Amino acid sequence: MRTWMSGCQAVYRRLSRAFPHEFRMVCGDGLERLGEDLAPLIWRDQGVLGLIRLFTDIALRLPLEHMMTWVNTTKEATMTGDLFEGTWKATKSERVQWDPAYPQPQQTCLRLEATETGYLMVAYGIVDGQACAERPQSIFSDGRRRPLVDLNGRPIPGVPAGAVTFGGCPDSHTLEVGAEIDGKVLGAGTYKVSADGNTMTVTNEGIGLKGPFKVITVFERVVPDPYLPVS
Amino acid sequence: MPRKPPETFLPLKSNWLHILLSLVEGEQHGYGIMQDVLERSDGKVRLWPATLYGSLKRLIQEGLIGESSERPAPELDDARRRYYKLTPLGRRVLDLESERLRGLVRALQAKRKLEA
Repeated sequence: MRTWMSGCQAVYRRLSRAFPHEFRMVCGDGLERLGEDLAPLIWRDQGVLGLIRLFTDIALRLPLEHMMTWVNTTKEATMTGDLFEGTWKATKSERVQWDPAYPQPQQTCLRLEATETGYLMVAYGIVDGQACAERPQSIFSDGRRRPLVDLNGRPIPGVPAGAVTFGGCPDSHTLEVGAEIDGKVLGAGTYKVSADGNTMTVTNEGIGLKGPFKVITVFERVVPDPYLPVS
Repeated sequence: MPRKPPETFLPLKSNWLHILLSLVEGEQHGYGIMQDVLERSDGKVRLWPATLYGSLKRLIQEGLIGESSERPAPELDDARRRYYKLTPLGRRVLDLESERLRGLVRALQAKRKLEA
């Protein structure tokens, strides 16, 4: 009987060690220890039926854990390296809030490319049936303040001279940017990516040509990214 | 990664609820949790090892429990064992779940009164 039980424990140990690395990193050798300790007790109290249940439990869990690990690996492989980087398309979410003083676009897309100091952002879409695009702009996320000028270092029409822009990441999913002049806020924006990396809520507020405005737009990540070459 | 809000875990899976309940009074190792659940349910609920450790893994990943770095007194300790404890998020989720269950019981009692 002792040999039979040792055999059961050895099989249980082998099955436990076949669990994915991710599982064993979190649980250590707890599973194999517990199974080995429990097998004689189960045999004593419940006999063969108990042992069948003990082995059924691990036999069902083993492929499930491998499948979960595989799903996680696939998810990570399909995510872009940077949470913000990529192409985003505006949705018709209920959270969207548009300032009526400005024409609401029929379609809005954002393209964010990571740079050494933050991101290069291009916004484009369809307004009043016409395709249009904003000038590309730099979004800084390194906390430093810089003159608010265009990509060539020239003044931006409508932006007062001396305006500065700045930005930072209060957490890994949020990017906060702003512009001010002499301590007076010209505008502020928050880019918040959801936990799964697929949705981005952008809140922009400030003072525009027609007075103060506040706009909330919800974007969905465009997958596959149309700007990446198809391998 | 930001944690999910506690409400998103409700209703709690039965296994998760049993495990969290076992950790309310303090840290426990896997075998201790299993025994506690078995005793509390009068032998009706047995968390088999792979199910138990699968749930512990998920609870750790979701931030509801954590591995304890503190060890019991050496004479009471088995160095092989890992001890688990509730996190503040786990405690909050458990509070919300107990409130939800209380609400269900209240609703059931109210219906029974109407029937009587």
